[in-house]
Amino acid sequence: MANEFSRRSFIKGMALGTMAGYFGSAGLSSTVFHKQMMPKDNTKKVDIGQIKSLSVKVISETSWFNNAVLLNDIKKSGGLLVNQYEIPWTVEGVKEGYKGNNAGGFATLIEFEELSGKKHKLLLDTGWNVDWTDKRFKEEGIDKMLANKEIEALIISHEHFDHYWGIEATTKYNPNIHVYVPKGFYQEGFDLLKGKAFPKAHVKNDHPHTGKLDVMDSSKIRPIYPGVALVTFDVPIITRVFGEQAFIFNIKDKGLALVTGCCHMGIITYMEFAKKRIVGGEKIYGVQGGMHISPFEDWDPQYDDLVLALHKYGIEKLGPNHCTGYVTAEKMIAAGLPVIKGTARNGSKRNIYLGNGDKLVFA
Amino acid sequence: MKDGHLDTLWLEDRKLTNLITQPIRGILGTVLSFAFFMALWWIFMDPRGVLRWYTPQYGYMYIRWLLIVAIWQAYIFNFWPFNLKWMEGSHPLKKGLILVGINFAVTGLVIWGFFYGILGKFSIPYMSQFELHKLGMTEFFAREYSSLAVLMFAAIASWLSPIWPSAFENYPWHSLKQPAKGITVFSFTFLLTTYAFFVFMHPHYNVLFYPWQKFAAAFPWWYESFKTLSGNFNVGWIMCGTAAVWMVETTWEKYPFRLIKSQPWRGIAGFLWILLIAFTMFFVFIFMQDVVWGESIEGAKRLMAPDWRYLHTGELAVMMLSIALTLYFYFDNWPKKFSTEVNLFIRTAVIVVISFGFHYVYYAVSPGLLGTQAGYSHPQQFPMAPIILWIVVMLYHNWFMDGWPGKSIKQPAAQEVSNEKHVSA
Repeated sequence: MANEFSRRSFIKGMALGTMAGYFGSAGLSSTVFHKQMMPKDNTKKVDIGQIKSLSVKVISETSWFNNAVLLNDIKKSGGLLVNQYEIPWTVEGVKEGYKGNNAGGFATLIEFEELSGKKHKLLLDTGWNVDWTDKRFKEEGIDKMLANKEIEALIISHEHFDHYWGIEATTKYNPNIHVYVPKGFYQEGFDLLKGKAFPKAHVKNDHPHTGKLDVMDSSKIRPIYPGVALVTFDVPIITRVFGEQAFIFNIKDKGLALVTGCCHMGIITYMEFAKKRIVGGEKIYGVQGGMHISPFEDWDPQYDDLVLALHKYGIEKLGPNHCTGYVTAEKMIAAGLPVIKGTARNGSKRNIYLGNGDKLVFA
Repeated sequence: MKDGHLDTLWLEDRKLTNLITQPIRGILGTVLSFAFFMALWWIFMDPRGVLRWYTPQYGYMYIRWLLIVAIWQAYIFNFWPFNLKWMEGSHPLKKGLILVGINFAVTGLVIWGFFYGILGKFSIPYMSQFELHKLGMTEFFAREYSSLAVLMFAAIASWLSPIWPSAFENYPWHSLKQPAKGITVFSFTFLLTTYAFFVFMHPHYNVLFYPWQKFAAAFPWWYESFKTLSGNFNVGWIMCGTAAVWMVETTWEKYPFRLIKSQPWRGIAGFLWILLIAFTMFFVFIFMQDVVWGESIEGAKRLMAPDWRYLHTGELAVMMLSIALTLYFYFDNWPKKFSTEVNLFIRTAVIVVISFGFHYVYYAVSPGLLGTQAGYSHPQQFPMAPIILWIVVMLYHNWFMDGWPGKSIKQPAAQEVSNEKHVSA
């Protein structure tokens, strides 16, 4: 009798559990229910207009000179989640560094022409080490372009040390420049812009910004010129940074060109956004900038997923550099992707991708 | 129990007396364990704290091993070499101090002795941060990569090891005495863990290094079906399995396979039941994420990455487990007054509802409270680390310290001891 009861109860329990399991795993997630329950994307595409031509010149993609020294600074401070303003970065005694300083920085000059023929220059990011950034600015004539206001705006991709902390290199020539920062900037970032120093991290700004400051909302497409838009992504980033913005250009007869500083949101997410949200997004002509895949020459199998998936997007000009990493570039080339080579000068170590002083002309 | 030794599972045999009534006892226990967790997190893990080991993999590795060593102590070795008299007679604080001390020491010995000193040095370099660094990797990533490998061993062990004492009741070694039983079950489950590691995680290391190590490890066999080369696919369902083992043991009271009386059928049914629940959790959690964030995109990062979605199923499972264990340890596994089926249904529903709330609260407060990265998906964001550390603290409190001061060991009457000795003999 006891055995019969056990058997009956057991079968009852199994039946209940199996039904719950079925509706849980097979039922709900089966193709029948799946399509009905998936969120519908009803967002309309935005027409940002078109431009005639675009070129991008790498001023500095050398964010730091010795990878091991940088990672050791991070490790000693407690890892990749520690606030960047709390890390005592190594600024002297580095053999490969610029005057012993391990800090370099990222900055890019963007030049484009409207369909009307009107030309514009923008600066994307402003480096880290002010001495190094200033040297590169002078070598490429950026100092003069800033001083005579040829460069109309400084776009800060995100708050990271190597993209933003060299703010003084820009404001010393034009403190009144229009600055765009992404939503997610911490108070320290705004304070630095206004002239505050952070001695522990060896960062300061003796030339406070006096011009217009725009904080760009996330997930909104913000056209800033006809055919040119900025988009900001809510993305958590190492060393306690949040949010990144990037460019979308729509080049007549070519397609979209995406220009990025570091692309922490991921290059696929960025392209998918452009595809779905921008008129003309079905053709992504080219991508340029840091793609944040293996910035420390580290790796994760997830990055192989990315390299293998890039083929599907039909990109014609791929201009990675900076935090893309050399390992990634090698894998991209091996996978047959159209990576544009550089010239390995002005501090860039290899010609495998665009380096300091190299220019990519989209049209 | 023979000659004062613990031959049957102490955690099931011990009689606890409630010293405080509910809900004060439950709230007090939860607050105490959470406070101890916060102290440990600040000292060892918090990126703003003292040692800052949560880099994240390095600290996470220790947490995973503290958990599995606690399972070994309580479930596999049944607190050997301590005897019944010591377990019943010692003050909970004294027991806690000594048993947690052993837990820490064994964890250190396993990581620094077995993995760094032997396995990493003489067999597989990715098991040792020092060997990877010697091979040219930066110190930071040498430590992170090796920590991931070492912690994955523990993750698989925390799924497989408790299945034997829980579902199989240590069959066919149930009649052995300690330490022979512990050593045998430990060796067997460790062997299973080793096989599982090489099938589910070793291929991840084929593609982690450049160039791919195709002669040393198989290509990730799950790629075609699950659209990622990352071992996070396996991490996800294995963590669902770990949560399933413990929820079957606690929340669902081994129902219904406990109704099978004979081994190994009870164990086999239990194992399959756990596997079924694990995959149900896995697919439901994947589906929920698709509904909330849209379907993942191959090659994407963060929220939209397929591999992160798999990992997050494990994170969701562990969040649910933490709520289930809180209910079990501190609130007497409420409710208990209805039929088994109704009790289990209500209990599960309560856990699921609270888990949703916990998910929201965790991501809202963890950057400020724990010093973690803001946002859901980030390569350095592992909710499993703090939540498992909290679970470990709950185990310390309830397994090692009898839930004191809310509960204490009930001293058995002389006649009861005599009867037990008679039965065991």
